Parts: sequence; structure tokens; C-alpha cells
Amino acid sequence: MNQLRSILILSLLLASLAVSCAGPEIDARLVFTPAQFAGARWEETLERARGTTVNYGMWAGDEARNRYFQTGVAETLKRKYDITLHITPLGDVVEIVNKLLNEKGAGKSTNGSVDMIWINGENFRTAKQAGVLWGPFADHLPNIRHFDEAARARDFGTPIENYEAPWQRAQFVLAYDTARVAEPPRSVEALRAFVKAHPGRFTYPAPPDFTGSVFIRHILFHFGGARAFQEGFDEELYRKASAASIEFLNDLEPFLWRQGETYPATLTELDRLFANGEVDFAMSYGPSFASERIARGEFPATTRTFVFDEGTIGNYSFLAVPFNASNVAGALVVINHLMSPEHALDQSRTLGGVFPLAPDHLTAEERRAAEALPRGPATLPADELAAHLLSEADARYLERLEKDWLEKILRR
Amino acid sequence: MNETRRTSLERSAKNIAAAVTIGLAIIPLALLLMWSFARHWYWPALLPREYSVRAWEYIASPPAGVITALTMSIFVALCVTALALAVALPAARALALHQFRGKRALLFMLLLPVLAPSLASAMGVHALFLRYGLTDSVLGVVLVHLIPTVPYSTLMLTGSFANFDPDWEAQARTLGASPVKVWRHVTLPAIAPGLAVAAAFAFLISWSQYLTTLFIGGGRIITLPLTLVAFQRSGDEAITAALSLVFLAPTLLVFVIVARFLRNVE
Amino acid sequence: MRHVETAIENVRMRRLFSASTRFRVALLLFPAFVVIGGLFAGGLLLALVQSLGYFPSAGENAFTLAHYRELLTDQEFRASLRLTFALASVATIISATAGLALALLLREIARRNRLLNVLLQVPLAVPHLAMAVVLINVIAPSGLIARLAYSVGLITAPAEFPALISDRYGAGIIIAYVLKETPFIALMALAVLVRLGDEYELVARTLGASAWQRLRHVTLPLVAPAVVSASLVVFAFVFGAFETPFILGRPYPAMLPVVAQRRFMSVDLSERPDAIAIAVLIALIVTLLVWLYMRLARVLVGVEKPTIF
Repeated sequence: MNQLRSILILSLLLASLAVSCAGPEIDARLVFTPAQFAGARWEETLERARGTTVNYGMWAGDEARNRYFQTGVAETLKRKYDITLHITPLGDVVEIVNKLLNEKGAGKSTNGSVDMIWINGENFRTAKQAGVLWGPFADHLPNIRHFDEAARARDFGTPIENYEAPWQRAQFVLAYDTARVAEPPRSVEALRAFVKAHPGRFTYPAPPDFTGSVFIRHILFHFGGARAFQEGFDEELYRKASAASIEFLNDLEPFLWRQGETYPATLTELDRLFANGEVDFAMSYGPSFASERIARGEFPATTRTFVFDEGTIGNYSFLAVPFNASNVAGALVVINHLMSPEHALDQSRTLGGVFPLAPDHLTAEERRAAEALPRGPATLPADELAAHLLSEADARYLERLEKDWLEKILRR
Repeated sequence: MNETRRTSLERSAKNIAAAVTIGLAIIPLALLLMWSFARHWYWPALLPREYSVRAWEYIASPPAGVITALTMSIFVALCVTALALAVALPAARALALHQFRGKRALLFMLLLPVLAPSLASAMGVHALFLRYGLTDSVLGVVLVHLIPTVPYSTLMLTGSFANFDPDWEAQARTLGASPVKVWRHVTLPAIAPGLAVAAAFAFLISWSQYLTTLFIGGGRIITLPLTLVAFQRSGDEAITAALSLVFLAPTLLVFVIVARFLRNVE
Repeated sequence: MRHVETAIENVRMRRLFSASTRFRVALLLFPAFVVIGGLFAGGLLLALVQSLGYFPSAGENAFTLAHYRELLTDQEFRASLRLTFALASVATIISATAGLALALLLREIARRNRLLNVLLQVPLAVPHLAMAVVLINVIAPSGLIARLAYSVGLITAPAEFPALISDRYGAGIIIAYVLKETPFIALMALAVLVRLGDEYELVARTLGASAWQRLRHVTLPLVAPAVVSASLVVFAFVFGAFETPFILGRPYPAMLPVVAQRRFMSVDLSERPDAIAIAVLIALIVTLLVWLYMRLARVLVGVEKPTIF
């Protein structure tokens, strides 16, 4: 009897294993070419997507965001479009781009693991150049009309050409505790003076962490002039500005946390250092991050954010469709929904964050709702942020600076 | 006089050593339990300022993906155990009961995967798996988990078979028992302890795999170690502690079973 | 490995030259051979081939030693290699010493008290990943021990607590491995000590040897082989393990397996063959150590049950 049972269990396991390995069949209705999409009516795409599942490869580093997408957003999508949203958690979108490059190289042009991804910057540039994105498509989405030209033209200097749809906005801010620091340094040079006066109380995440990378870009902008970096790649400009920046950061290093012997590997480590009082500054691409942390009891209630007088860098992030997505129709419907004013208002209300849509591309009612969005105690007002906004640099500056930082600062 | 002082010194040293051993076994678990219920635990508080069940509620909720990861881990580990044993049993029998050329070389080949990291092999087969659609699949992950488990199980089972006398089987057969009955009533009871231990270790090895699952599973097949690392990086300490306990629970359970069998074998 | 040795030399040599038996043996061994030969050895071979230049996804198609040559001049690789050897050596030496000491101390209690034996095996069951995650909160500058130090007035701020996580010396990594491997080595030594009994020491005592002389000339030589072979196992494992340095170490320089993983997962596909080359090198070094272990195990008294995690 024991043996019979074990044989049964074994065969059951093997059978279910075999079944789980049989891949899903490709549904021809859900996959089509960009040209076909451009020629079709939107209602047709909606119809095709009805009753399907969409795999969204999303950065999963924030519990609140995960919960919001897996409950609120998923329920809305199910209710409005009969689409089941499934989140594939990513530590970094680099993982998925990597995978797509792999799959393209191995010829896996159908049945990709995700149907849509949240992407921007150098990852977008790599993906677009390697041809692993489905498109162009963005200009045929109904909700594209809510975004202004700046959001649709370039992504870190790379021409978008409708291979990704604009979705969210971000702007770099620094946080400090008013109870520990009376007056924060409001410029790059003031920061240097502050760090030298208070050794061991400041650090930044090690590039290639996204936030650490944008922090050091501010130094580059400071020495090269912010506007010069936005288009094209000027070797001479880069050489001069980066030399000054590297010298600045090396000069700063002995006065950093742990004398610069190590840097926090991730942004969350820096958050923890700040929350535990080991350093006096935190930073983020999300202007409302400090308010959110205060609400969660992680940051002290006296935390506030600030930007440099010379401005801080902001950007858009986008949604794209991988070349081998198995549900293109569903992905397009979800992307379009995420671009809608209805969703933008709901997300800003639930998660905080900058309201991404252009006010003059909204109805009066939507504009009023956007202006009425609650602002946390540590969040700067939208007009102050806008007044200090610097556009992102071309992705090539980013890559070069990261590499130089690794070589000339970390590995020295 | 000196002897008694030295022996009493020895005795206290031994007691301390015993206490330390016991402490090392219990303390981490107690700590994890406390942290998993902590709500606000920042410097310099020794104990959490508040307690809450938030972390446990979150990991029990479907959006967290923990239940999925747990189920996947259990499923993969069970499959790996079953397959590893199915492969290891005959091989162990051959190794223990038969003499043949190249046995020493085979033993070396068995020992190597136990000690060498599966890193290189997993990287190597990745391209192959990619071509044949085994990446991002449960089957691929199960296969790659076989790399460390099969050799381990084989080595353990060889030990069990080493004390086994096949004459018993021959006798049972001459008495008219069918092969199935022979297996059930002669072979299986004799190797049962070793079999249980081998099964337990195979399960645990598969359960703890991180890199191999990451490489071959491609982020699509999520097991508990992957979830644990992801939450650890995300900085939520309470959730990480709760998840660590979930991760450890089967480990300890399996270990208890193993310990009972090991004691019987000794 | 003694039982295996016994089995090999065992008198059960059955009808050696019968074809049907050889076929039967081959059949029994076949599935294991497929797994180990195919997945493990095949995987290693594929890795070797890819590291030697055959990598279509990155456009490589010709035999080349370039990746290995690049590694030799790669600053990160050299720093990482030095670090990995250093950390593995230190962790092994400390674990071996502590494990041996623990075994000697617990020897008598272990003979009487089975519970102790079982308890000693609990750390073995704890996966390295879980151990690292627990340690992070215990030995970090704002962790449990630091807070204890603060509460008794030893320090006033986290910055005053010595850096044990993400630090230059990999202290946290060493602590994690020592905590896990000391019980392992202690168990291996205990197995030998308990089995041997105290006959040899008693004889030495009647011959007039002092406690220290007994330890040095009788006990230690008897238990040394088990400890040395267990230490080789520990070194090989620490050398190639990923999870602990990933959680507790600093980003640069990192231990070799961490560097290999980072490059393998990089967006820049041209880094992948480098990653595979590093992994192959790790495998080669470990193979060498395992071979050494087998030679030692053959010559000396080995261990009974490999309880390895």
C-alpha cells in the first residue's frame, strides 16, 4: 500500500510537471504588427483584449506601489476592460531588457514572458537599438493627447519615435531632517562645504543605482552647464566637465559616510541609514517620497525636502511593449488606461508622485482635480519643482559618467 | 589538587560550550520572531517601540506573491526530491554492491558537484535551455536543481546500501516472493533511514537554491529564496523577518525528521 | 567516506565478468550518469566552450583566450580573487580551530547526551541565505549588538560601532561562515572522537603522558585527518558560494561568485563570457581542492556521513 501510494504520488507529480511545462498556445488575435494596429480602430483592439491576461513587468521595490497595482489598478482593469493584470516583479528593469536581448539572440520571437514594461533612459536606448521593442505605437493610443511634446520627443536624448508611451514624471529631490540640520545646502558647492564641515553625515547610493547615478549627474551639470547635455554627445564637453566632477567627488570622498570606503549599494540602504540617523540626507527621484515615509513611520515627522537653486534633474518614464509579447492587444489597452487622467489622478492620490499630465491638455474639470491633489508635509509645491526643473542628459553621458565613477572613484 | 581544579575548569568550559551551542540554535529564531512583529524599530531602541501583525498579514495576502512563491518552492522541491531519488537509488545500488572499473572516477564525479557551486554549470546550460524553451519553466528549474541534489543523494544512499546484504533479497525470492514484495519487505525497510535522510537533504538543497533558480527561471519562476532576497533589498525588515521564518520552517521540520532517523542509524 | 571505501573493497564482488551483470550495472548507473554527466559535466563543458569564444548572442564565433586574458588584467577580478582566497582561508581556519575546540570540549557530553548532537546540527540546517539575513540586523552599525553597546554606554552613535557589514575586511561574511561551519567541523571531529573512544588516551595516560602531551601526540593526530578534510570542504564551499557575500559584502571588491553573477546579469551581453570565465575558474579551483580531498580521504581515516549543507 505504501509503495502504491508513493508510485501514485510520483506519477501525479510527474504528470503535473509535464502539464505545467506545456507552454500556453499563441493566440493569433492578440498578436499583430504595428502597421496593423495603426490601421485598426481602437474599439477593435479593446475587443480583442477583452477576457485576456496581461503580464506587466514592473519594478517591485515599493510595497505600496505593488499593493496598489495588484489590487486597485487590477480591479479597475477587470471592471472596465475585462482584463486580468498579472505583475511580474523586477528588481531592476535591466533584468527584463537583458532577458529580451537574450531571447532575441536565441530567436524566441513569440511567447515572451512579459507583455509590457516600465522603462526609460539608457535601458530604453539599449532596447530600441537592439530592436527588442514592439512599435511604433504610441501616437495611435487615444490618451497620448494628454501629454505635451516634450514628453513624446526624447528619452534621455534618445529619439523616442513612438516606441514607448509617456506615463510618469519624476524629479530629483533631497531630504533632510529639520531637527538635525537647520539650513540645507542649496547648491552643489554649498553641499561640498557642508559635507566637509560635517564629516561622515552624507553619502549617496553607488552608481549604477539609478538615484546615485542622477546625483552625480548634478555635479556634471554644475561643471558643464545644464543645458549643454541634452542633445547629442560632445566628447570635449564631457571630458572637461567629467574631469572636474570626478575631482569634486574624490575631494568629497574622505568626508563621506565611512570615509567613502563603501557606498550604500541600493537606495533603500540609504533610506535606512537616514531613518536610523546615521546620515543626515536622503534622496529620491520621487518628490513625495519623504511624505510617504513619514506617513509610514519610517522617517521622522520633521523631515523636509529641498532642491538645488541651480535646479534638479527630472524626467519621464514610459511604458513599452516587448517584441515577443504574447498579448499585444491587452498591453496596449492597459498602457492606454495608465495614461488616462482618471488613472493619473487616482495614482497621484494613492501613491503621491508628480502629476504627469500637461495641464493644458486636460479638461477644466480634470485640471481642477489635479490642482486639488493633496500634498504631503514634506513635498514641495508643484510650481517650485517646475521652476527648478532641469532636463535629463543624453543617455551616453550617463553611461560614460557611471563607468568613470566606477573606475576612478570606486576602484581607486 | 591541580587535577580537580583542572577538571572542574574543564567541566565549566564544557557547560559553557554546551550553552553557547544551544544559544546559537535558538537565538536567531527568537530574534526573527520578534522582528517580524515589530512596527517601529529604529536606533537606538533595543526592543520594537510598537508591535503589529502587518508583516504577517501582508505576506499572507495574495498581492504579496509569497504564497505563490511558497507553493512553487514546495512543488519544485518535491519534484526534485522524487526525481533525484529515482535516479540515485539504482546508481547507489550499483556503486555499493558491485565492483567495476572506473568506480573511483565515478565517485570523484559524484563528489565534485556536491562541493562545487552549480554556478558554472547553470551558466553553461543556460544557453542550451534557452534554445529548447526550458528557461522560464518549472521543468528547467527542476532539471537544474538536479545538479547538486543527485550526486548528494547518490552518495548518501551508497552508504545505506553498503550495509545491505543482497542475499536477503535472493532468499526472499527463493521463498517465492514477487519482485515488488521483495522491494517492499526486504530492501525498503533496510534502506529506509538512509532513504529518508537522502530525501530530506535533496528537498533542502532544492529549497535553498537561489542562483540556479534565478538564472534558469529567468525571474518568471519565483521561489521563496528569490522573494526573500527581493524583500531584503527593499528594506522592509519586518516582512524580511517573517519571510525568513517561513523560509526556515520546512528546513527545521525536515531536519527534525532527519535527526530522528540519524539517531536510529547510529 | 569510510563506508564507501568499505563497499568498494567489499567481498561482494559478484560475477565480475558476466555480461548480463555488467549490462545491469550500466543500466542502474545510466540515469545518474545522464544527470551528472549531462547537466553537471555537460554544463561545465558548455560553460568552458562559451568562455573560450563560442557565444553567438554576442556575436562571437571563434576560439579565443581573450576572455581569460582580459580577466588577468582586470583590476576588479584580481582584487576579487585576492579577497575570495583571503576570506575563504580566514573563515576556514577560524572554523576549523573553533570546531576542533568545540568538539574536544563537548566530547564527553556528546557521548552521553544525544540532544547535544542534534542541537549541533541545527545550524547546519539553516540555509546560508537565512543566516545572512539574520546577521545583517544583528551586527550592522545600527543593529542589535550596536544598540546593546549603546544601552550600556559603550558608544553614542552608530558610526562608532565597528563596520562589520559591507566593510573592507569582509568581517560580516567571515562571521556568517564561521557560525555555520564551526558546528559542521565540530560534528565531523566529534564523529571520529566518539567512535575512537578514549582507549588511546587511557593507554597514553598509563604510560605517563600528561594531558597536554596526550592532546598533542594522541588526540590531535587521530582527529586531524577528519578536521583537515572537513576544512577542505569548507574552503571549497566558501570559495564558490554566492548568497552570503551578496547580502553582507560590499559592492567593490566583491567575492568572485558575486562578480560572476553581476556580469552574467548585465545588460551588456559582452560581459557574459567574462562572467562564465570567472565561474569556470571557480569550478577549476574547487575541483583541484576536491581532488586533494579525495587523496587525503583515501590515505587517512575518513568521515562517516557527509552531512554537508
